[in-house]
Amino acid sequence: MKIKRPFYHYLTIGAVLLYLIVPLLGTLIYSFSTQWHKTILPEGLTFHWYKELFGDSVFLKAMGRSLILSFGATVLSLVIMVPTIFSIVVYAPRLEKFIQSLIVLTYAMPGVIIAVGLIRAYANSGISMVVVTVGAYFVGILPYMYQGTRNSLRNIHAVSLMEAAEILGAGQFTAFLKVILPNIMTGILVSSLLSFSILFGEFVLVNLLVGGSFETIQVFLYKKLNVSGHIASAIVVCYFILICILSVVIVKVTRSKKETV
Amino acid sequence: MTYVTVEKINKSFKGQTVLHDINLSFKQGEFVTLLGPSGCGKTTLLRILAGLIDPEQGVIKIDGKDVTHVKAKDRKIGMVFQSYALFPNMTVAENIAFGLKMKKLDKAAIQKKVARMVELTGLSGKENSYPRELSGGQQQRVALARSIVTGPKVLLLDEPLSALDAQIRKNLQKQLRAIQKELNMTTVLVTHDQEEAMAVSDRIYILNEGYIAQSGTPHEIYTKPVNEFVARFIGNYNVFKGEELSLLTRGTEFPHKLYAVRPEAFTSQMIDNGLEIIGKVDKVMMLGNVTRYELFSNGVSVTAEHLHKSNEDIQEGTLKTLYIDKKDVISLA
Repeated sequence: MKIKRPFYHYLTIGAVLLYLIVPLLGTLIYSFSTQWHKTILPEGLTFHWYKELFGDSVFLKAMGRSLILSFGATVLSLVIMVPTIFSIVVYAPRLEKFIQSLIVLTYAMPGVIIAVGLIRAYANSGISMVVVTVGAYFVGILPYMYQGTRNSLRNIHAVSLMEAAEILGAGQFTAFLKVILPNIMTGILVSSLLSFSILFGEFVLVNLLVGGSFETIQVFLYKKLNVSGHIASAIVVCYFILICILSVVIVKVTRSKKETV
Repeated sequence: MTYVTVEKINKSFKGQTVLHDINLSFKQGEFVTLLGPSGCGKTTLLRILAGLIDPEQGVIKIDGKDVTHVKAKDRKIGMVFQSYALFPNMTVAENIAFGLKMKKLDKAAIQKKVARMVELTGLSGKENSYPRELSGGQQQRVALARSIVTGPKVLLLDEPLSALDAQIRKNLQKQLRAIQKELNMTTVLVTHDQEEAMAVSDRIYILNEGYIAQSGTPHEIYTKPVNEFVARFIGNYNVFKGEELSLLTRGTEFPHKLYAVRPEAFTSQMIDNGLEIIGKVDKVMMLGNVTRYELFSNGVSVTAEHLHKSNEDIQEGTLKTLYIDKKDVISLA
């Protein structure tokens, strides 16, 4: 039997969708418009702003810096955190509560406070603030890497798998490499993509810590807001497309994970 | 000759002792079961045998060699886990071959041994399947094949059949025993299921609160329980105080504190020099081939079981006379 849905259900859903889509649609149209100040619809459409944007080496460099920072911090987290979380879950589960409390702290600290603290601690230390930013990013994505990796390890009953592999003659490293890692790869990939997309959109820390000396896409966008709304819109559209691609990859990976379970 | 010896093993967790001076010994090719209720320490003992937990005190010897401090991977044992612990990223054949690859055997030898195990465990046609594509029974057989393909000195089984339904469990019990006999593999099974223990074992160790309550063949354990715990845990023994038994049998002297009587030891046929109990029938239960009922006499309840016979009608509320041979009344420590 078909369930009758009242009209106001559709109305609510429609209103929410409009609320979410209109700003994006407006930004998209504005990035293609020649002028859109005095009329309801744009006066004309053009690719000019995109040509200007992609012709600007500063934009391409900013994009490259954002990719390097986000990718670097994510890879660093993968290399250090995955083996660490594995060791905690399998060999020192008592430490889990302590680690979880530490990770909650990263949520509790506002970005501005972290940035001010880092500047005071490292400004005259001789360590490049870019490196400090990567370190701060590493801490910032801890919760996502920790939860994703820990859940994957629990789902596959990592402790039993390790014990089974060791009893069959495998050393701890071999067991981790041949048995554990292939089975948690999907979870790690999802956590990494999520972390990467969060870092790619990060503004507060990078602006305060390195600002103009290491301009990332978000800092570049902030500067362009005062120069041209059309270019700023084009940047937002590019950024949004990249995040959409990442989201599609995450969804695809998650689906394939569910199918294999 | 003794093949596996466990001497004075002690283990505690968070200050609570879970194993007290455990001593076990079994011969090569013997099927030994560690039987007991949840929390009695049987799995801890098995994990100590496997090398997954270190004992605080005691010695473990396998084939004459002290392995107490030998790592699990070097102990030459096989183990089937309760959850099977099959490697999800590997096919059936790859799972079975894993231990052989760790031993660095050549490809042809691995293929030959895997094929033999697949045949022995009835997994033909499933070599390229992944664990998620198999039924619980098939997964259990893969786990078994994987653990015995390397030719371990001792095979350890941690409640491997507990997650399976009754029919499959019974079939697998038979298969497990047949394979164990064919390979003459020394095997230690952990279970809380007394029927399973009776069905497959050469020798049973009953554990209770970290102590060995009794050990012996299934027949010895069942017919001669040494204490109240064993009598109650194995089967549905009636446990009576001496005075209760005197009341039931109208005055016969029973000087010991506790006695155990198997429910099937009661009979409706008169026994020369046997004991006679007259009481009212209650709570009749048809359990397939067996009828179980309670008999109340002088305020004492007796559980009796008879093979189901169509000509013997046991009605609730009627008076019934039961007889028991004196030798079936077992005095408990």
